[in-house]
Amino acid sequence: MRMRLKAAAAAVLCLHCLGVYLFTRGFLLTRTELSAFSLPSDLLQAQAPCCSDLPSTTDQDLPGWTPPTVERVLILIVDALRFDFVAPSSLFQKKQKWMDRLSSLQHLASTHPSSSRIFKAIADPPTTSLQRLKALTTGGLPTFIDVGNSFAAPAIQEDNWIHQLVHTGRRVVMMGDDTWTQLFPHHFNHSYPYPSFNVKDLHTVDNGVAQHLVPWLHRQDWDVLIGHFLGVDHAGHIFGVDSQPMVQKLEQINAILQNVTDIMNSQKHLENTMLIVMGDHAQTLNGDHGGGTSEEVETCLFAWMPRSLPSSISSIFHPSTCGLGLNGKNICTSTMQQLDFAVSISALLGIPFPFGSIGRVNPELYALSPGSWDRQWLPASFYEDPSSDLKTWKNNYAHVLCINSWQVKRYIDSYSATSVMGFPSDDLHYITKLYNEAQSRWSDSKNSSCKPENGTIDEFSDFLLSFATLARSAWTEFDMKLMGVGLGIFIISIIFHLFVFERVHSLSNVYDNKTQKSSNHLQIYVAFLLVAVRAVSFLSNSYILAEGRVANFLLATTAIGSIRSSLVYGKIKKHDLVFLILIILIRFGIEKGMSKQAATNPFLNYDSGSDFDLKWLPSLFEGHDFVTLLPEISPMIILFLLSFLSCKYITCTVHSRYIKWVVTVGTMLSYLFIATFWLSERSFAPKMVYVIGLSLFVLNFVLRYLGILEKGETVQRLRSLALVMVSAWSPTILILLGKQGPFVVLVCIIAGWSIISSKNKGLLDDCKMDPISVMQWSLLAICLFYQTGHWCTFDGLRYGAAFIGFDEFKVVRQAILLFVDTFGISHILPIFSLPFLVTIPNSSSSKGRDKTVIFLNLTQVYLLYGLITAITTTFTVLCVAIQRRHLMVWGLFAPKYVFDAIGLLLTDVLICVSALYYC
Amino acid sequence: MRKAEIGATTALALHSLCAAGLATGYWLSHSLYSSSLITDPAPTLRILTVCEAPVVILLFSWLRRDHDRCSFIKAVARGLIGLPIGALINAFGAIVLGAPVGLKFWPATFYWSMLMSLFTFVPAACVFGASKLDWQQILSYSKPSNIVDYMLSVPAHGAIIGAWLGAWPMPLDWERPWQEWPICVAYGAIAGHLIGMLFSPVLIFLHRRHIRTKTE
Repeated sequence: MRMRLKAAAAAVLCLHCLGVYLFTRGFLLTRTELSAFSLPSDLLQAQAPCCSDLPSTTDQDLPGWTPPTVERVLILIVDALRFDFVAPSSLFQKKQKWMDRLSSLQHLASTHPSSSRIFKAIADPPTTSLQRLKALTTGGLPTFIDVGNSFAAPAIQEDNWIHQLVHTGRRVVMMGDDTWTQLFPHHFNHSYPYPSFNVKDLHTVDNGVAQHLVPWLHRQDWDVLIGHFLGVDHAGHIFGVDSQPMVQKLEQINAILQNVTDIMNSQKHLENTMLIVMGDHAQTLNGDHGGGTSEEVETCLFAWMPRSLPSSISSIFHPSTCGLGLNGKNICTSTMQQLDFAVSISALLGIPFPFGSIGRVNPELYALSPGSWDRQWLPASFYEDPSSDLKTWKNNYAHVLCINSWQVKRYIDSYSATSVMGFPSDDLHYITKLYNEAQSRWSDSKNSSCKPENGTIDEFSDFLLSFATLARSAWTEFDMKLMGVGLGIFIISIIFHLFVFERVHSLSNVYDNKTQKSSNHLQIYVAFLLVAVRAVSFLSNSYILAEGRVANFLLATTAIGSIRSSLVYGKIKKHDLVFLILIILIRFGIEKGMSKQAATNPFLNYDSGSDFDLKWLPSLFEGHDFVTLLPEISPMIILFLLSFLSCKYITCTVHSRYIKWVVTVGTMLSYLFIATFWLSERSFAPKMVYVIGLSLFVLNFVLRYLGILEKGETVQRLRSLALVMVSAWSPTILILLGKQGPFVVLVCIIAGWSIISSKNKGLLDDCKMDPISVMQWSLLAICLFYQTGHWCTFDGLRYGAAFIGFDEFKVVRQAILLFVDTFGISHILPIFSLPFLVTIPNSSSSKGRDKTVIFLNLTQVYLLYGLITAITTTFTVLCVAIQRRHLMVWGLFAPKYVFDAIGLLLTDVLICVSALYYC
Repeated sequence: MRKAEIGATTALALHSLCAAGLATGYWLSHSLYSSSLITDPAPTLRILTVCEAPVVILLFSWLRRDHDRCSFIKAVARGLIGLPIGALINAFGAIVLGAPVGLKFWPATFYWSMLMSLFTFVPAACVFGASKLDWQQILSYSKPSNIVDYMLSVPAHGAIIGAWLGAWPMPLDWERPWQEWPICVAYGAIAGHLIGMLFSPVLIFLHRRHIRTKTE
């Protein structure tokens, strides 16, 4: 029998590992961030094939890989800029009221067709600002999980063109959305950040940019100026696109742009400046963005040079869609990938291309810069026909593309060598073949000293576009097959689990000669009904956000049901009422956590004022010292109480004298160290707590296998084993939870006691497994997770806990601490204390019980607990698979999946450990 | 005994009186004060309580269990005492289940729990008084030997289950006004209560037929 739990738990663990692995491979797109940076000298050192002839400007010290083709760039980002905000309305079926509002851009596009261009810029999902800014600056495809070195800070660790600019001594000025200063904390010469999180504020950021922009345009001490307007995004979020505030916002932006273009036309020092007006992503008519629908990804990029350019530029522009503008002239638009932006801007400014950029220098954008028409790369004698602008340009562009391809190939090689999950090898072979072909053609044309032809450009483009397609499929597309197989394995594991559970259940009924079958069956149905309600609730994003409250609601329902049955069978016991009051306390904790979450989570509309307005309470006691002292003192008092309680129970329960002594002293010392830490903030104290906890944990297993804890009755033995195990873990978890720790642990203990004493009211047999109690245990665990201020997103991790006892950062150590903090109270403690459910109640009647029956019951409890977790997680997985195109998939569903999958695997592992330890 | 005379039709008639009380309350609030449950929940719930309370208390006092020892007046008094006690229990239960406790919700919670008390606690208080055995019997639902038991138990359970189900739409992000506490819970409770009142005569009818076939 003992073997059965171990074998079943191990089998379930394996199945779940496989399922999680496969589903994650299909769903969570992972990309490894490479820490390498491009250096100006790379091109020469690596003997890249493109540089066989050095640039004509070699006498100067070239800071980048290509000569700069513009002097300055002015980038104005309008957050959530839809393509139809800029493009002429004649391109669309019906003129809407938000169209043609940016008339200054349309005017430029129609009057200067050879020095300005409107692009439809296609962004890649996820279309959230942070990911887009990362993509725009690094030239990569940020995914949900970018495996990198950053732990909490959002600062960009990858190579990017802002870094390259700063590195080559250019001056960058930023104004607007403060996300930029979070991403680039030390890069800007001047920055004017404005808070971006208040969605209801339409004007602060825009007015701030408008205020600083004009003075800076008259100054000369900058090379790149970035202005980021947020008002359009916020207006969309609040009022939607089809609204008057949106129209007003667009008109305000238009006025600012008109002013900017007027200044650029009049100022001599801005003659060689490229103006780029662009969106980071677009938005739906409701103002939502984040997903991959065409409304969300089709944003706009407008580029304009004040200087006139050769007229042959028109042959470079793609044959494109044109429409009549407001003034009756034709306006033409092209399409580009936002992926190409980073490398294009690097080529324009003449800086090394960012290491991780996988885009292609966009020919049209490149052609808009005057420098690309100058002879840069070859001695003048090379040209038979120096007057041909177009040939010069093509020669320049071929050089740039060659360097571009070399850089992308270098990234592919480097990525394949170091990343967690590389590309499929077949595709890599194909890409390499394309590159080699293009490269050999390039060197052939060099050797035969004829000018690079059109074919070379096409071959390089072909290579770059093929790789971009491959990268997109690896980093932005879900693998439905793998997801389906993973989900199938989850379902198989549940069937297997049910089968084992049913076998053990019928076996225990054989041992159990009393006639309580029907009642127990009813309880199992009720328990599974509760699981089903909880599981189905995951299909809606609202219930996922309110998961803590849902769990609390269900827990309260079971508690009320238990009171009802108490009434039926006799009197209301005091533990029933205590449990109800505890549930209220837990609920306040959960609501406090939710109001904290609402501050950072834009999806959660939680009105914290409505529910928790006990602010009048402190004012009653104002002026008394004890109000300020209370939060300081109360954890200490509760800690003292806890140490007293644990001391008492250890001495009562554990029978072996030496073990009792060791565990008591260890626990007391731990509590003493915790108190020392809170009073004096000494960092040795938490370290001592961790050491004591770990050594007690190891000691348990050693003693268990030496057979020292084997004495006594089965029930007593089990109970003392469980108590020793829980005492080993609780001080560590307590100190990581911080000052709320003692209170939470006390609540946990009392709630556990209430559940145990209220179980099995109708049953005479105390040691029988009660499915409702197991369900309550699991609901309580979920409530405790939320009560301790956690929630299922990555900003819900309590990063502070990772640094208790340590000041410096080491990934593994801090990750372990964070892990224990996150899952300690909700997984580790509840699962290790499950044996109490079959051993505590009324030990007098359970004396002399058959050992086999007790272990059967323990097996049932563990199997049922595992089954409950597995069912809810499977529903999370199902829901994530269904909602994979949902707006909140990256903000809500994916983090929920990650937390649940980790929780499930942890539960399985802990059940295996418990099976080894207890059985 | 009077209770032996009550049949399914009588039960239906009595229940329809209760329902009429509710309907009157709703109509009054609608026509006189032009308020509905959604726009201003607290006053509407107050009117509903005021209209429903006399109907329920008088009706169930007439159905009191111990006819000989307990006068009509005493039964009414029991109902009046039971009203705040039941309200307290209901409010406590709602707070345990997650009802908001902010000051601005207090009036609505108060009238909602009064109404719930009228649905659940007061009828039983009028009929049973403080008889512990009767209370246990009606809760355990094991041997509903009596027709009045059905009339008490089925609508009360209906109201509680309806209120429980009515709480489920509250966390959804539809941003409708009726998702506020206690509007949808009150709707759920009223609907559950009405369904229970429709259902109990059916059960009574089945029960009587069962007894009749047994005796035959």
